[in-house]
Amino acid sequence: MKNSKKTLELKFERTIPALPNEVYDAWLNPKIPGNPWNAAEKFILDPKVDGLFYWALKGTSHYGRFTEIERPGRIQHTWVSPNTLGEESIVTLTFKQQGEETFLALVHSDLPDHELARAHEKGWNYFLEMFREQFGNGSRIEYRWDDAHPSAKT
Amino acid sequence: MDQLSDVLIAISHPTRRAIIGQLANGPARFLDVAKPFDTALNAVTKHLKLLERAGLIERRKQGREVYISFRGEPLREVAGWVHEYEGFWNERLDQFAEYFKDKKKKEKK
Repeated sequence: MKNSKKTLELKFERTIPALPNEVYDAWLNPKIPGNPWNAAEKFILDPKVDGLFYWALKGTSHYGRFTEIERPGRIQHTWVSPNTLGEESIVTLTFKQQGEETFLALVHSDLPDHELARAHEKGWNYFLEMFREQFGNGSRIEYRWDDAHPSAKT
Repeated sequence: MDQLSDVLIAISHPTRRAIIGQLANGPARFLDVAKPFDTALNAVTKHLKLLERAGLIERRKQGREVYISFRGEPLREVAGWVHEYEGFWNERLDQFAEYFKDKKKKEKK
């Protein structure tokens, strides 16, 4: 039975100047910059249905299980970390050919919503506008690992 | 009350948002901050107190004048905390796309 907890969903899109086969393979190749495993200090990666992954960076561990592996169009896996409060979230990637390029969409869903996140929802749209206006970097927020993982600070 | 709540309360009022927008252009004196608003100076003072409590502004004395300036850090920290995966995936995907762009450039040479 699907639990009834409130969850958050984040969507990201990029156009990659290569064909889906190449982009798909690169996403699962730890040597290619940009995929999650590439950033890891230590990783285990078994990209097949029911294969597991693990990666760790600065003391934060991430675990998951591949649920869909359909080269070159779709990858789906679970994603568990301290930042999901130990609950399973879902990451789904789709790769669609557009001419000589690939439209890559990544959806991170079932992220647990909790008290502080709900409090934040009230002001969320304003936050995004604020960053767009005040910091001039579009809707994207500068990511700093140490800020997001204060416990990893030495 | 925690800082997240203080920041959310601080930005929940349109006048306070307008004050932040104004101060983002640079520090200003109290009367300059109050000038654009059709409201009593006392009300502006109350708005500034809430912004100060949230750490979104600070006052600094320069000679005989007191200048008020905007501090963006509390907003960054709060947004970064809740939406860390937004930042994480954007950073990863940007690197990923950049890898292919560089690769294509090298292939053309």
